Amino acid sequence: MKNLKLVKKKSEDSKTVIKVGDLSIGEELTVIAGPCSVENESQTVETAIGVKNAGADMLRGGAFKPRTSTYAFQGLGLKGLKILEKAKQKTGLPIVTEVVDTRDVSWICEYADIIQIGARNMQNFSLLKEVGRVNKPVLLKRGMYSTLAEWLNCAEYILAEGNPNVILCERGIRTFETYTRNTLDLSMIPAVKAETHLPIFIDPSHGTGRKHLIESMIYAAVAAGADGLIVEVHNNPPVAKSDSEQQFTPEEFRKIMLKARNLHKAVKEIL
Amino acid sequence: MENDKIINKIKIIDGKIIDLINQRMEQIVISKNLNTEDYFSAVINNPSEDIFRNSRILTEQEFLQRVYREIVAEGEMIKNKNLKMIAFQGEHGAYSEAAAKHWNDDLVPIPCNEFAQVFEGVESGKYDYGIVPVENTLGGIVSEVNDLMIHTKLHVTGAIEIPIIHCLVVFPGTDHREIRDVYSHPQALAQCRNFVSRNKLKPMQYYDTAGAAKMISEKNQGNSAAISSKLAAEIYNLEIIKESIEDYEINRTRFLILSKEKNTENGNKCSIVFSAAHKAGSLFSVLEKFAAESLNLTRIESIPNQLGNYAFFLDFIGSERDAKVQKVLREITEMTMNFRLIGCYDERKIK
Repeated sequence: MKNLKLVKKKSEDSKTVIKVGDLSIGEELTVIAGPCSVENESQTVETAIGVKNAGADMLRGGAFKPRTSTYAFQGLGLKGLKILEKAKQKTGLPIVTEVVDTRDVSWICEYADIIQIGARNMQNFSLLKEVGRVNKPVLLKRGMYSTLAEWLNCAEYILAEGNPNVILCERGIRTFETYTRNTLDLSMIPAVKAETHLPIFIDPSHGTGRKHLIESMIYAAVAAGADGLIVEVHNNPPVAKSDSEQQFTPEEFRKIMLKARNLHKAVKEIL
Repeated sequence: MENDKIINKIKIIDGKIIDLINQRMEQIVISKNLNTEDYFSAVINNPSEDIFRNSRILTEQEFLQRVYREIVAEGEMIKNKNLKMIAFQGEHGAYSEAAAKHWNDDLVPIPCNEFAQVFEGVESGKYDYGIVPVENTLGGIVSEVNDLMIHTKLHVTGAIEIPIIHCLVVFPGTDHREIRDVYSHPQALAQCRNFVSRNKLKPMQYYDTAGAAKMISEKNQGNSAAISSKLAAEIYNLEIIKESIEDYEINRTRFLILSKEKNTENGNKCSIVFSAAHKAGSLFSVLEKFAAESLNLTRIESIPNQLGNYAFFLDFIGSERDAKVQKVLREITEMTMNFRLIGCYDERKIK
């Protein structure tokens, strides 16, 4: 962590606040929700309406997917971006979507409000530099076998290129445990807040990989002071083309959100 | 992806077939004002024998004759519909055509190479109406049109203002990552300058936006795109990478509709043209008359004409049936030279 210049906190209360539309990320609890993949227009738009009614602040959806297997659904690409744009027009929700290829960075920035770097690309240095050169906020996921120091150094890459708007996102790390898909490391919330001025989000969906575990992790993240959440929601999870075991229905998500927002209010008063 | 390439090729070819049939029907509509029934059926609509003799190996003569029986019958039907035409400058897919369709979708838009041809065509009776752009919120005035407006005897029977929404278009199946060059009219390129540079594209000037779209549909080089209207993308069967790529949202163009006949309906806007004497305050005195009657001017433009004088265009809110307006126009006729009320019409603004 000795090399970190821009990522490190300058003073105790220095905090980066990132504006997206009416949202102030870093100040309020920001909730991003949506399907793992953009599969077709009706699926995405219906899910978007569902998450909007549940109180989400932004819509997520993967158009370019980093699948482990080459035979798995790779995403709709540009068509997927257009569908996300339609969903934004219908609901007003800003868009978060992942970039996998440096050549797509500028094009995705024409459609998305926040551009995401996935866990498997955390140390893709040319991709980090490329998103460092645009002026869209970046959601930087922690690599599944990366230390906090490595993670912050990647954020430093982005800041050094001139883009100050980085949101760190913990999504679980690999451990020997096989019950969960990853081991969600909530201690990163106070750790990130101690070491940097950047906002810290939690992805409880990938972090656990199993639906019955996600809900309590959402409340735990809120209680621990996370600046935001990114949750997978799909209007028909059993038929989802990816991550069907961990996506909520809009109705399930709505109930959780109600409790999460109330919890957040209480936490702010007490802690 | 060989199948995809073939499918895309056939899609483009089918689009071209339909486009060519439409062009044939366009010629038939144009001929309506010029010919007798017999001449039309015998000569204009009747395909010449040579084309059947040239039928290629894959299609039999009989097949082509069957196809043409249908085309000729449709041509007869279209001629009998007595459709009216509105001429515009540019290629099919131009923003002028989009504006014409907004104005009146029942008119048949006919492309002309030059503005002068639009004016001449309406003056000679070849076309029923013409539509020409006069000003754009980002690009300023269209001087060629203003020049022609000074000298024409045509009347303005309507006006319409539309948003100019630029689209980045490519040959279907093009990988957006491969795009390097983007072709369009210099004004469109200028209006999308930031978008073009953000995506590291090379702007290539072309004479026309719709022409650029047409060129892309025929060229099929994987690394070229065009900036054109959505209408052009539909006409030339191009894939739209992104809609609304202009740097500033307020990009609107105003068009005037021209006709040989005066507008018979009551209008809410008037346009006049005149020259003022070469002495101090002459223009001011004219403007004073409008102010005195609280008539709101919406446009004032000075155009140098060949004699070294200036002609002035004035648009104002009001109707020529209004006594106040008639008074002002009478007074101005006395004070100016070459005064003409070029039209009193309804103006529409499309969101």
